[in-house]
Amino acid sequence: MNPYTLRILRSQPLRLMLTVGGVALCVVLMLFLLSAYNGVADGSVEYIRKNNADLWVLQRNAWNILRGSSVLPSNFAQAIGNTPGVRSVAPVLLILSAIQKEKEIATVFLTGFEPGKSGGGPPHLAQGRSVLSDDEIVLDQAFAKKFDLKVGDTIKIQDFSMGIVGISTGTNAFVIQYAFTTLSRTQSLIGLPGIVTCYLVTLNDRDDSQRVAEAIRNTLPGVEVYDHEQFLQNNIREMQSGLLPFLYTVAVIGIIVLTAILSLLLSVNILERRKDFAVLKTLGSPGGFLSRLIVEQALLISFLGLKSGLTVFFPMVALIEWISPEVTTKTSVEQVTAVVVVVIVVSLMSAFISMQRLRRIYPMEAFS
Amino acid sequence: MKESTNPPCIELVDVSKSFGTHSHKTAALRHASLGLFPGELVSLLGPSGSGKTTLLTLMTGLLKPTSGTVVLFGKVLASYTSKELQRLRARRIGFVFQTFNLIDSLTVLENVMVALRFGGKSVFEARRRAARLLEETNVAHLAKKFPATLSQGEKQRVALARAMANQADLIVADEPTASLDTANGRQIVQLLYGHAKKSGKCVVVATHDLRVTHCADRHFLIQDGVLSQSEGVIEPHPSINFSPTHAEIVSQSSRLPLRQPEACSQ
Repeated sequence: MNPYTLRILRSQPLRLMLTVGGVALCVVLMLFLLSAYNGVADGSVEYIRKNNADLWVLQRNAWNILRGSSVLPSNFAQAIGNTPGVRSVAPVLLILSAIQKEKEIATVFLTGFEPGKSGGGPPHLAQGRSVLSDDEIVLDQAFAKKFDLKVGDTIKIQDFSMGIVGISTGTNAFVIQYAFTTLSRTQSLIGLPGIVTCYLVTLNDRDDSQRVAEAIRNTLPGVEVYDHEQFLQNNIREMQSGLLPFLYTVAVIGIIVLTAILSLLLSVNILERRKDFAVLKTLGSPGGFLSRLIVEQALLISFLGLKSGLTVFFPMVALIEWISPEVTTKTSVEQVTAVVVVVIVVSLMSAFISMQRLRRIYPMEAFS
Repeated sequence: MKESTNPPCIELVDVSKSFGTHSHKTAALRHASLGLFPGELVSLLGPSGSGKTTLLTLMTGLLKPTSGTVVLFGKVLASYTSKELQRLRARRIGFVFQTFNLIDSLTVLENVMVALRFGGKSVFEARRRAARLLEETNVAHLAKKFPATLSQGEKQRVALARAMANQADLIVADEPTASLDTANGRQIVQLLYGHAKKSGKCVVVATHDLRVTHCADRHFLIQDGVLSQSEGVIEPHPSINFSPTHAEIVSQSSRLPLRQPEACSQ
């Protein structure tokens, strides 16, 4: 690296610090968005991923459980179970329900399942055990932390007192968290004992899914049947459709801010050294010399910004998760790589924008 | 014009330069002709705004003439590509400015090294030669200092070291002694004179300073863009805005001999 690059940047330490700080903030913002998105994505569909049902049966037009209304009679279980190739059927009822703890009240995505059947329950248990009876409930870890609830505590839903027997993970969908109790208790909460949201079907042979799905459709008009992978993708797509536009907007704003910060600093550095650059042109600086100075500055600032941003990011995320447990993040090497690439591309873009000023510096200015 | 067996470094033939558009055209230089030969130190005298800087920039290929022909090192200026001109300035032309124009963010050594690097030298070679040049200009002890900490005289000696870095065939100096006291001014003139005489290079100096004119082989006067060669004696032209000090010197030493070579050598 040219010593001049370092000297230019070091000549204004406060400006350099502010710029590096700005880049670091953008890095933190972008990484946080990506990590939060990954956390939400995981929390939103982990329930489906871990309840590894071969087929999901829902009411027609309800193609996901995140934002789809599906109401099916509970007696469909028998018809589905009688379909050749089906090993087991687990009915599940999902409702939004208010949980009360003393004077506090909060909403959960209450999942009613039959404890004796395979499927429909919490995907991972961090503490305690799963639900066995109607007056028991499993809460999401973030939800429990937020409301200071633990295994052994009691909460109320409507007039029912329910003891917390387990704490689950992978059940935080950011805006709402899953909770688990029995199917019968969930049905009694909404006063409709004969309905479920969907059926989780396990097959004797997963390769047989197409045929069994078709058989169920023929037997029960008005239902739709999805295999595991398709249903998972449906839910991911639904989750993305709500989140990604927001994510993209903030990411684009972050990139614009980053470009503006870098371009501004580089342009100011050029303007302040206009005479120096004119002198260097007069002295016969090769074509790429001045441009390289600008690119080196941009890359150096980006490197410092990335380093600072990454140093700050992980403790900051831990702090945020401690303060707001419902914020769950998941950071991967791919995300960090993507942010590094974006910052490098933006810094090169900013350097290119600033370089346009170099063309308007004339060697003659050295004589003024 | 001086007779010489060597081809001129620069030759201007009926060169004019105008700025502005058709309706607001300003003639900065009108039909100027001159030749500058190796081993020659030529002074260029004229008041502010007379066209001295325009002439210097034409001589170095920084500007192209509106009409006429500039021949730089045997080749017509118009036939140089911009890359060739850049290389020419980097390798064969040295510049000295009135305000020194050192790069404040670089050390003294690095300021000289920049020119050497532009001239194609490796970092190692540039460092070695820069150190030697600083010794020659008596500022070796300042190598690690930054220009802001130097006196005016020291700055100009560093600037001169930079100009001579690539053993430039042509040094163009724009008012190199204007900001300097007598002693420092004399040293700069001696260094320029030495470069012309000992190294057989071309030196052209735009100046008001009689210390320079005493050492010059020839003088050119320029006023309102019109260039003329002065023979023999330098006297204050009524229209040339010499500083009072210079005017006094000239007036006290009326009929000053044109050259005092003994005072020009180190």
